[in-house]
Amino acid sequence: MAAATLVATGESKDQTSWTISAGRVYTATGKVIEEGRVTVEDGKIRSVSKGGGGDLECYAITPGLIDLSVRIERDLSSIEQSREITPEKRIADALDWFDEAWKREARSGVTSVMINPLERQVVGGLSVVVKTAGESAQKRTVKADSALYGAIGSAPSQSNHPAFGRPDDFYSRRPTTRMGVEWEWRKAFFDAAMAREDKNLAGPGTLELQKALAGDLPLCIQAWTTQDIRTAVFLKEELAREGLGKLRLVVDAAAEAWKEPELLVRSATAAILPPFSATGRSDDGSFFALDTAKVLAERGVTIALSGHGARAASERLCYQPGHAMRGGLAFDAALAAVTINPARIAGIDKRVGSLEAGKDADLVLWSGPPFEATSAVIGVLVDGRLVLDPRTQNK
Amino acid sequence: MKMLHTTTRAAAIALSACLFASAAAADGKLAIKAGRVLPGPGMPELEKATIVIENGRIAAIGKDVKVPWDAVVIDAPNLVAIPGYVEAHSARGMDRPNENLDVAPFLSVRDSIDPVGFYFEDSLRWGVTTINIQQGNNCVVAGQGVIVRPIGLTVDEMIVRTPSGVKLSASPKMGFSAATQAQALRRAFGDLRRSLEQLVAEKKEGSDRARREALYQGRDLEGENAKGKAMEGAAWKVTGFELVPRGEIDEKLVPLLALVEGKLPAFFYCGRPMDVHTALDIAKENGFLAKTTLVISPAAYKAAGAIAAAKVAAILDGAAVYVETDPLTGEEREVFVPGELKKAGVRFALASANPTTESLWFQAAQCVGRGMPRAEAVAAVTTVPAEILGLGKQLGTLEVGKFGTVVLCSGDPLSVASWVERVVVEGRDVYDRSKDVRVKHLIGGQAPANTQVMGASLLGDPRKVVCCEGEDPEEHAKHEAEERAKKDKGEAEDDK
Repeated sequence: MAAATLVATGESKDQTSWTISAGRVYTATGKVIEEGRVTVEDGKIRSVSKGGGGDLECYAITPGLIDLSVRIERDLSSIEQSREITPEKRIADALDWFDEAWKREARSGVTSVMINPLERQVVGGLSVVVKTAGESAQKRTVKADSALYGAIGSAPSQSNHPAFGRPDDFYSRRPTTRMGVEWEWRKAFFDAAMAREDKNLAGPGTLELQKALAGDLPLCIQAWTTQDIRTAVFLKEELAREGLGKLRLVVDAAAEAWKEPELLVRSATAAILPPFSATGRSDDGSFFALDTAKVLAERGVTIALSGHGARAASERLCYQPGHAMRGGLAFDAALAAVTINPARIAGIDKRVGSLEAGKDADLVLWSGPPFEATSAVIGVLVDGRLVLDPRTQNK
Repeated sequence: MKMLHTTTRAAAIALSACLFASAAAADGKLAIKAGRVLPGPGMPELEKATIVIENGRIAAIGKDVKVPWDAVVIDAPNLVAIPGYVEAHSARGMDRPNENLDVAPFLSVRDSIDPVGFYFEDSLRWGVTTINIQQGNNCVVAGQGVIVRPIGLTVDEMIVRTPSGVKLSASPKMGFSAATQAQALRRAFGDLRRSLEQLVAEKKEGSDRARREALYQGRDLEGENAKGKAMEGAAWKVTGFELVPRGEIDEKLVPLLALVEGKLPAFFYCGRPMDVHTALDIAKENGFLAKTTLVISPAAYKAAGAIAAAKVAAILDGAAVYVETDPLTGEEREVFVPGELKKAGVRFALASANPTTESLWFQAAQCVGRGMPRAEAVAAVTTVPAEILGLGKQLGTLEVGKFGTVVLCSGDPLSVASWVERVVVEGRDVYDRSKDVRVKHLIGGQAPANTQVMGASLLGDPRKVVCCEGEDPEEHAKHEAEERAKKDKGEAEDDK
């Protein structure tokens, strides 16, 4: 039975030093080591080299997978919704560290995740990057305030309605349309830019918006459809044109990015792609072509794949590169899209995202060629700790 | 086994969609020269082999097979030939499955199939060439299913066998409790018994009500139908049944009678472990256990021991990996269901979890990933389902005498990077990916010409539009023209 539990096999549960060998070690630095070995000491990678033997053996090793849109802990109570623009709110304060979803992600190979505020507001707040396993919230946090997150599209105005004619309720508020959502974005950034000169104009969240304008804080916007991606890119370009700031833009759930890849190329926008769907139909009325990842990667757009925290095993992040490869994405690009690319987008590539000496020992052990449907994740280490033991798998 | 329908359908096939090519008819000869042939689970693979199909059946297969002079040849040196996958149970492809009437053994899937439904196209696209379509799971006795091949414009062209069995469910229909469900199942067979006894009683009294009703309904009362036959069956019989001419039995009773007489297979749905016992009891009480296949949801894996002990086969209807939550601790656990079935000794087939990304190839591939030998995993989507459907001699492997149903893949059939390139169903060349406009839409978003497909770009030709807010469109066009001119000039110079 494939339960993700530690078994008493002699070594301590807290063991953080290992030697692991594999037929192929995919480092995600462009290098693949045949018959390679990774040594781990005190939770960090000590060396990646040729050689066999060791405590654990498997077919292949890749870096731990990184999901920038994992969508754990995203119910309506997880973030303040009294205003449409709450850039100062931190989703980190709303995390339930005991949720089963962490273990679910960890045992399927996801070792770092970015948790973003809910898309039901225009500017939801600050994202956080955490490990999927570990001792304490503090130790698990890889990067606090990793991005400012918001949404364009139908989600932020969903259910909202004007106050007249109906008794006031939570949804008696604006915006009620996509136009309104865009106006909120532009006003927020314009006000933040004005507050640079006149401190009296500053309010809660102004600082975060100013950081995003200065390019010090990545701005991550959920935009499923091509019209929403356009809105996001045009917002960035408008702010640059007006001399108000230079956003580091990332579009999340960019299902229709295939329609106008040039938009992302010319604006140097990175894209997080949603999970592939069985029919091509995706959320918010979008159509997600199977070759989206390939088209974007070939044009030099930095892409990351995501699994949206699916409960079903076959829909999780470890299967997404397979779908992308079916759509024509090369293996190396698929590997990058779940390891080093998301690490770079979130600004955590000094610690995770590839197998290099000194980086965190976040490893995935595979039973066969990674991302193939005929392969399974049989072992996972987070900070050198075994969260899925390959010796208990496929028995 | 009824004789199969083997008339030429080239014209209908050509009409049905662009992806149906009509290179050869069933009664013609077709030869496939494949780079590799994987004839079946556990069978040795052949390099550069030829498969000759005559009259819809495989006439020869091997490396040194001579191609008949009059055969249409599919030359596929880079493709891998495999037997088409067999879907042992599916409630797709219908206008809507019956989940409305509780006890409706007289309803047939045949009347609900939509031959031009996307489901059948998808099936071909993912290499599924035989499908047992059954009514839905949310029922008591839902009706009769049919086995089809996913080609043709009419249901008759599609049918391999009708009826293929009766669909029953041991899981409570919506609004039912486990007890009312079991009672409804027992009542269905109790009512059958009483109706049959009444027929006998009426005959003894000299009543001709059943005969008049049969004539009124226009039923055939000649030949075999004019004769009465003693009731067969392993569990219970109505004495004196030979007095009733078979043609006089109400059509509504016939399917359940066939079940009790052991003449029709049963597909019994079990959504939970506890349902397995109900299903097995009902089947035993009414004598059709030997003809029963359980259709189980992944959750029912806990009853694997009971399934194995009853020596019935199971079709796994859902994901291979079941995620269950401990009700006490809230802790999640993942169970690889085919592994549990195998451990318990259950003979099982896998069904698609969805018709595309989690079609049969994916289900088999997942089993390999979880440590099952490849031959066993492939058997669960080819030979085992073929045997469950009583088509073991016709389908499941590529062997002389079996149906000439061959799927040609671009590479390893279980690899994520492989695509189904060509499909031949009983000697008919029915699918060619290079002509499949919808697969182009799925992959690249290009809408087929002259169609408005959901998600197709409203902005004109996708990927050529460069949006330019804040840029003067005329300026942009001028700039583009200049760029083009520059590029053309460069190319012209290169030519020199």
